[in-house]
Amino acid sequence: MTTSPVNTPAIEPAAKPAGWKTFLAWLLWGWLGLVIGAAFLWVPAQAAGFQNPVAYRILFFHVPTAWVSFLAFLAAGVWSVLYLARGRARRHDVAAAVAVELGLAYCVLATLTGSVWSRIEWGAFWNWDPRQTSIVIALVFYAAYLVLRGAIEDDHARGRLAAAYAVLGLAVAPFLYFVLPRMMPYSLHPEPVVNAEASIDMENRMLMVLLAGAVGFTALFFWMHNLALRSRLLAERLEEEAQL
Amino acid sequence: MSNWLAETLAVFAKDWKSEARNLYALNTLALFAITTLVLVSVGLGPMGVDAAGAQVLPFLLWIVLLFATSAGLPRAFVQEEETHTATALRLAARPSAVFWGKLAFSLSLTWGLEILVAPLFLAMVQLDVAAPGQFIAALAAGGFGLAAASTVIAAIIAQARGRSTLFAVLSFPILIPLLLLVVELTRDAVGGFDSGAVLRQLLLYDGTVAVAGAMLFPAIWNP
Repeated sequence: MTTSPVNTPAIEPAAKPAGWKTFLAWLLWGWLGLVIGAAFLWVPAQAAGFQNPVAYRILFFHVPTAWVSFLAFLAAGVWSVLYLARGRARRHDVAAAVAVELGLAYCVLATLTGSVWSRIEWGAFWNWDPRQTSIVIALVFYAAYLVLRGAIEDDHARGRLAAAYAVLGLAVAPFLYFVLPRMMPYSLHPEPVVNAEASIDMENRMLMVLLAGAVGFTALFFWMHNLALRSRLLAERLEEEAQL
Repeated sequence: MSNWLAETLAVFAKDWKSEARNLYALNTLALFAITTLVLVSVGLGPMGVDAAGAQVLPFLLWIVLLFATSAGLPRAFVQEEETHTATALRLAARPSAVFWGKLAFSLSLTWGLEILVAPLFLAMVQLDVAAPGQFIAALAAGGFGLAAASTVIAAIIAQARGRSTLFAVLSFPILIPLLLLVVELTRDAVGGFDSGAVLRQLLLYDGTVAVAGAMLFPAIWNP
């Protein structure tokens, strides 16, 4: 980075966030509070098809985290493509890196909650079912991406090499979708909520809480992403100004 | 002959010439492959495996090939950085010629290793292949995917620190779909089952990695 402080606007000292941003943040917290409350109080106490009628409530946490870890992977790929295709803006590179870091955290949470639930429902923490396999590969990919970033010192080199790696990962990931179900046809995971026949096979209240949870977690991901991205860029600018 | 093809062939020929000047690397690579192979074979014991255990043999073959290639293929680019010839190569040839030339070099190295390792493996573990044509197709297509993915990853890690360990870490997630597909195909070849769909998916993987690699390469190669 060679921009001089003359060209960049000075950092606003403790700028107050815009009113609508505060409103959105409170809306998000309210929404998530409602989802958590509903997951305990509103959904049916006995769910058909689950061994343990109480532990199934982890579903409302596990499925949205798994969904967000997939979404973060996709988002990191899109930001990497933007970085390579649109003039190598530092913002896109940091955005992809932050998405991977958050994706890794969500991935770990999805794996842990899944294992705990798997132990209660099926009696074993792990059994290499297609989704467990793909989440392990996602974990390894995220970790490899971060290791690569750590191994390159120059900002520009790190940006283009990490972006190229992320795009390559995005290009080969769909093959797992073909190969894993064929190798492990005995998935213990239920059909997706909206399955191939486009029929919805879930009790209404459960489905509503699950979808509301997915929406809430998606918003939470983008909110966390936005915060981390801005603080990372500001920290870089401060460091630059300190050096000058 | 077009300029592009001439440049690609020149990159390919240069790599082989510089390897041939000093056979040390090639010999080490071949010996590494054979050592892994012997280790696997000794581990299985003098009786080999029973019919049910034979399911695991195609997987072991690809593990041996994966280890051997991951010891040799990163050289394609790491060598350029270590001997400080990367800049000269950037001036001498356009990026796409460097990519395809290096890919051709990696591919010839991989296929060479397969020609060395596969027959020895079949003999040592006493494995009969019911569909040899399909077995050769699996080796050829799997080798191409291995070479293509390794070429891209090698170009990435050559510019980073801790190259030798980084290659294994970065190539693993990219190579998993290839490994699963090619093991399935090899297993079907050994058992004599038709698996045209798996071969098509493997070829699609090869094409995807090669095209994605060719498109990404200018961004990776040009500082």
